[in-house]
Amino acid sequence: MKNWFRSGSPWIWMTGGAVSISLIAVLGLLMLIAWRGLTYFWPSAIHEFNVQLEDGSSRTIIGEIYDREVVPIQRLLEAGVKIDPTLETVERILVKTGNREYVDLDFSWLLGPAITEQSTPAAVAVFERFNNGNFYGYPVAIEEDGVKKTLTSAAQLDALIDRAVALNDKAQDLQKGDISSVNYELERIRLKLRSYELKDELTSEIEAKYSKISAGLRAEYQIDEAQLFSYRDQANRDAVIVKDMRGEEVRIPLSNVLDVTYPNDMSIVSKIGHWFGNMGSFITSDPREANTEGGVFPAIFGTIFMVMLMAVIVTPLGVVAAIYLHEYAPKNGLTKMIRIAVINLAGVPSIVYGVFGLGFFVYMLGGSIDELFYPESSPSPVFGSPGVLWSALTLAILTLPVVIVSTEEGLSRIPTSLRQGSLALGATKFETLWRIIVPMASPAIMTGLILAVARAAGEVAPLMLVGVVKLAPTLPVDMNFPYIHVERKFMHLGFHIYDVGFQSPNVEAARPLVYATSFLLVTVIIGLNLTAIGVRNHLREKFKNLEL
Amino acid sequence: MIDMSSNLTDAVSLDVNNLSAADTALEIKNLDLFYGDKQALFDVSMKIPKKQVTAFIGPSGCGKSTLLRCINRMNDLVDICHIKGDINLHDKNIYDRDVDVATLRRNVGMVFQRPNPFPKSIYENVVYGLRLQGINDKRRLDEAAESSLRGAAIWDEVKDRLHENAFGLSGGQQQRLVIARAIAIEPEILLLDEPTSALDPISTLVIEELITKLKEKFTVVIVTHNMQQAARVSDHTAFMYMGKLVEYSDTNTLFTTPAKKQTEDYITGKYG
Repeated sequence: MKNWFRSGSPWIWMTGGAVSISLIAVLGLLMLIAWRGLTYFWPSAIHEFNVQLEDGSSRTIIGEIYDREVVPIQRLLEAGVKIDPTLETVERILVKTGNREYVDLDFSWLLGPAITEQSTPAAVAVFERFNNGNFYGYPVAIEEDGVKKTLTSAAQLDALIDRAVALNDKAQDLQKGDISSVNYELERIRLKLRSYELKDELTSEIEAKYSKISAGLRAEYQIDEAQLFSYRDQANRDAVIVKDMRGEEVRIPLSNVLDVTYPNDMSIVSKIGHWFGNMGSFITSDPREANTEGGVFPAIFGTIFMVMLMAVIVTPLGVVAAIYLHEYAPKNGLTKMIRIAVINLAGVPSIVYGVFGLGFFVYMLGGSIDELFYPESSPSPVFGSPGVLWSALTLAILTLPVVIVSTEEGLSRIPTSLRQGSLALGATKFETLWRIIVPMASPAIMTGLILAVARAAGEVAPLMLVGVVKLAPTLPVDMNFPYIHVERKFMHLGFHIYDVGFQSPNVEAARPLVYATSFLLVTVIIGLNLTAIGVRNHLREKFKNLEL
Repeated sequence: MIDMSSNLTDAVSLDVNNLSAADTALEIKNLDLFYGDKQALFDVSMKIPKKQVTAFIGPSGCGKSTLLRCINRMNDLVDICHIKGDINLHDKNIYDRDVDVATLRRNVGMVFQRPNPFPKSIYENVVYGLRLQGINDKRRLDEAAESSLRGAAIWDEVKDRLHENAFGLSGGQQQRLVIARAIAIEPEILLLDEPTSALDPISTLVIEELITKLKEKFTVVIVTHNMQQAARVSDHTAFMYMGKLVEYSDTNTLFTTPAKKQTEDYITGKYG
């Protein structure tokens, strides 16, 4: 026993065990998120239940099974549910019934013993809608251009839906493209006139010139608007009549329908196809219905854009600061104190940075910029309100210590002999730094950047104060001059998770979205990190044989 | 005793203790050097002859490397180091305030104990000093690279892989590359700080041969802890002990008939 202890085996088991536990924790977390997130996109079967109600009447319920749980009978009895008290436990099923405008709750719990019949009829269809979530039911007829026809084939309905979707897309493109540009231009003209007015330079010629331009734009707007309404009217032409679970026939205008699927009638191949399709549209489309439906594209875009902006700000700043601290600052107590202060900055809670960012960047800096450069848009702020630039700056100072520390470490690892070699050839300290030292420290700088990006991409708390919003009407990058609008508010995956999961009116509907978005956030961060690690490995390869 | 066959035949005409101004490359006058409170060099005065190889020998810690590093002001990098006295190059004290250190080091090149190529290609290593001077003309760089690599006796080994990383070379090749890098900017004086101490015997031999060739164009000052090496490659030798210059004369005299007892004790191996 003593020998076994002395041999070091227990030590190896202990260290190995610690590694395994960490590994299991990380993999378990990732797999849970991936599983819960990715199954959300799977077209699951639609069940039709016959339920015996407490008063003896029966009811039909159609929907997807969301969750199952086993509850002790005691709890149900206490809650006042009438149930056979001889049972010990009862299984209950959470069913998503959709049809939000016709039922009180689009989720309902069914008790196992109450279910008298359960089936998965092939004809049941799922309508994905712009508003009010999914609709489950049996399509019975279509209404084409006001004429009611019995539905003969699924293709007939599909064709009409494709037409409506195409028209909706056109309308949306028009609204987001031309109409928003016209509005943007009109707003710019208004601001320009206002700035002339403020400077007391507003002459009748200028006014005439601009009113002519804006008259042209308004005319354009009228045309676009008429076009938009005509698209909408055309899309509104058709409707589908669906028999829902109450047995009533409901008319759904096709302009409200995104897609119709028959999950019970799908082969595994087409289910996989739908699965990928659903994931694709989740990634590429805009959120709907208070973020509980639709995609997360603006959030992905906002996250990546903000992190990149932050990287662009923090890298030069951190590297230059580290160079000063390591190369030029005198080696005395003050420098040491500054270094300790910098390292400790990394430990400041991030919400504190948020408060600082709001006070300093948004109100002071942004407010001053508005006063100096945008007097015409007062009282509405331009830079004086939270935006993606201020978020990036706040996260840049939050991650600055990481970059400084790792750059300094990189600088100190470079052998003195190389510095001396360069100096002995008549290079100044500056030339030595930029030609030899900094390029050689670049892998360490990249390490700092990787850590900074990993931290910044996952940070939510400070962003809530300095720029993130639940729903941003426009992306920070669009086709209107100057194309990049860093003063705009943006959406962020981390905040999206919080918003969907905890601020949503419909918690049950949002839960799978939380997992899916979490999985996406992790994927985005891993993607950003892998890119940076790839760059670093490339750099390391270059300076591989440094040990000389 | 010591094999001196290679150098005994060379008739050394210059008397280093009585050098004319025309033959002097560098003059060190009453040099004192302190690391903080500790004095490392005591009143060193000597003249380094032009286009000759001068060796500094002495036991470890005697101050020979320190003295060498004074000549191109490498000691400036040590914060606590300060000096008194003059080192005159072209009748100008290199420690004067108006001297630009970078220009000085361009004139006084240095090769270190361990090869220190930059993490760049062989070619970029050699032309580094030229690029610093703002020379970017491809033809001029090519010419300079070839002539200095030839000068450092490494051209034939690397001419086919000039654009490969310098780290791929062996230690001896790297040291010759570093010498090529130093002579590419055509300094007047070349300081070699124990250039072979990290190398194997064969590489050492190649470098020693190179040193005797280098004196045709440059004034060479070499620090070595290896007495045989000093005897083989140098024309003049200075023996230092405890921060003082004990004896300085032509190599033959110093090794065969040393004037001081300390020198004799050292070269006969009584201490060191």
